[in-house]
Amino acid sequence: MCQTCGCSVTPGNDTSKVVVDVLQDLLSANNEVAAHNREHFDAHGVLVINLMSSPGAGKTALLEATIVALRDRYRIAVIEGDLQTDNDAARIRAHGVPAIQITTGTACHLDAHLVHRALHDLPLAGLDLLFIENVGNLVCPASFDLGQHRNVTLLSVTEGDDKPAKYPVIFLASDLVVLSKTDLLEVLTDFDPERAAGHLRALGRETPMIQTAARRAPALGPWLNWLEQQLGAWRPVAQAPQSMIAARAGA
Amino acid sequence: MHELSVCQALLRQVAEIADARGAHIVERITIEVGPLCGLEPELLAGAFAVARAGGCAAGAALDIESTPLIISCLSCGARSEAKPNRLICSACGGFRARIVAGDELRLRRVELTMPQPEAVPAP
Repeated sequence: MCQTCGCSVTPGNDTSKVVVDVLQDLLSANNEVAAHNREHFDAHGVLVINLMSSPGAGKTALLEATIVALRDRYRIAVIEGDLQTDNDAARIRAHGVPAIQITTGTACHLDAHLVHRALHDLPLAGLDLLFIENVGNLVCPASFDLGQHRNVTLLSVTEGDDKPAKYPVIFLASDLVVLSKTDLLEVLTDFDPERAAGHLRALGRETPMIQTAARRAPALGPWLNWLEQQLGAWRPVAQAPQSMIAARAGA
Repeated sequence: MHELSVCQALLRQVAEIADARGAHIVERITIEVGPLCGLEPELLAGAFAVARAGGCAAGAALDIESTPLIISCLSCGARSEAKPNRLICSACGGFRARIVAGDELRLRRVELTMPQPEAVPAP
């Protein structure tokens, strides 16, 4: 607008306009609650892992197999996000582990407020490991910090191996990518794990990618090793490197 | 499809700012949206048109400023523009990069209409 003729000034009420410069993250309310959740987790020494994937990639199956493998050594609990049912929480409880269901209705992701509410029903004392199974979706969960310490994204071999290129935001936010259902690779020859790894590398991070087949116990080794490493690395130092979402929230 | 929840968070922030300054009408809201923030500007604009109804920003315009995606190479230090699924240094081809800009989702500016002082009646 020109400063000469006054065309930028609304006639008559130029003193009534105020321009406020803000520069505030739009998700700052969520991020504050997430930080609060993380304080709770840290105070109780619980490592919290946010599990994300598209629907049907095998999050619940991986959790069931993980619980069976680790429940004698670690106290585990699960927060389940689901649009409509509590089927997944029932599957987890069947293994003798507490599971809190968050039914999101039509909401496509969990947020820090929903997790905070769930924490009222979940005693953290004595827990070692808390999994948050996010709503199956490769878009929305990436934007919402829940207070977790690590983000893990599953990519099943029944999907395309170019998912990291199609959904860069969620894969960028991941501390670990788990290729799931790899026992199907011998019949699903379209999926090339090397190509998937290449797309992941193109995101400019050295995010590790491991293979699992939750229905076959021996194929869980790399996943269980990673979990044990995180538990070991995290316990002595409460402020271990945080995931990207958390780092952004703190920035 | 989380654009609506983001708009609701945006409108809560805007309402707080307007309240703090005693303004009842919000004229214009400017936000910065980076290619890696996880939101589609067009969907955001559509969601805003729905979410703004009934509040102090019911007549507000939404300006969406798209920011560029800039990375800094951890190998050679060069800064370059990148695509969301190819964060690779354009100078040396390095595969390790830090995101300098492009993941922001920020409220930049709010323009408010302040209430007019009551006219002093002529004696």
